[in-house]
Amino acid sequence: MLFSGMHQKSWFNKLKEREATFIAVNGKDNINNLKNPISSREIVCSELIMANVSMGVSWWQIFIGSIHQLFGGNITTYDRVLAYGRTEAFQRLREKALAKGWDAVVNVRLETATVMQKQRGDKKKGGAFEFLVYGTGIKYR
Amino acid sequence: MFVSNTETIHGKTIIQSLGVVTGSTVRAKHIGKDILAGLKNIVGGELKAYTELLQEARAEALNRMMMDAMQRGANAIVNVRFATSSVAGGAAELFAYGTAVQTD
Repeated sequence: MLFSGMHQKSWFNKLKEREATFIAVNGKDNINNLKNPISSREIVCSELIMANVSMGVSWWQIFIGSIHQLFGGNITTYDRVLAYGRTEAFQRLREKALAKGWDAVVNVRLETATVMQKQRGDKKKGGAFEFLVYGTGIKYR
Repeated sequence: MFVSNTETIHGKTIIQSLGVVTGSTVRAKHIGKDILAGLKNIVGGELKAYTELLQEARAEALNRMMMDAMQRGANAIVNVRFATSSVAGGAAELFAYGTAVQTD
């Protein structure tokens, strides 16, 4: 519980590394959020693809977050969880697109949702975040 | 059925639009996995049970949207968007919507 914050830092570094090596191996990032692909090559086929990840905030992080909330400002513990979840979701989409043989993914959109939230009276308690990333995979001739 | 979240279909022309089609589903994981996910939430990190649950549910919502489109005689859905809302503790509503079209 106490050390999950430290673990998270190393997870995040690992994830960043994974992302960097993926882009280095493929030469370029294969996802973008443009409506139409930049290259004017002919497209053979396309399909909707999506990737998701759900992240929980640990009790310790919620506790630290609530202390931060007293003074206002940047809530670093939440920051880290959200940043990790988002990066992970994008990375999964990249890997999924490569595994399925798509040359690129266009029109990528990100959706965030709160799941598992318990409501007691007026108070909303805890919960996990879910990140969904979806786009259209395209294949060039 | 062809599904895409772009406004047009590459390599095909859209003949006519058949209106907005929707598909939704409300899902909850069974109590055992819910408790395990709750325990995992103490330490934080990824909740695999929920990732899986939402993936299944989203596929179901997509399926229902496709059924709706099929009934209207469409052969493709363009500009698909997703939305999520939590209705109760442990349950989530997944919603997918798009425009049903007919292509040549």
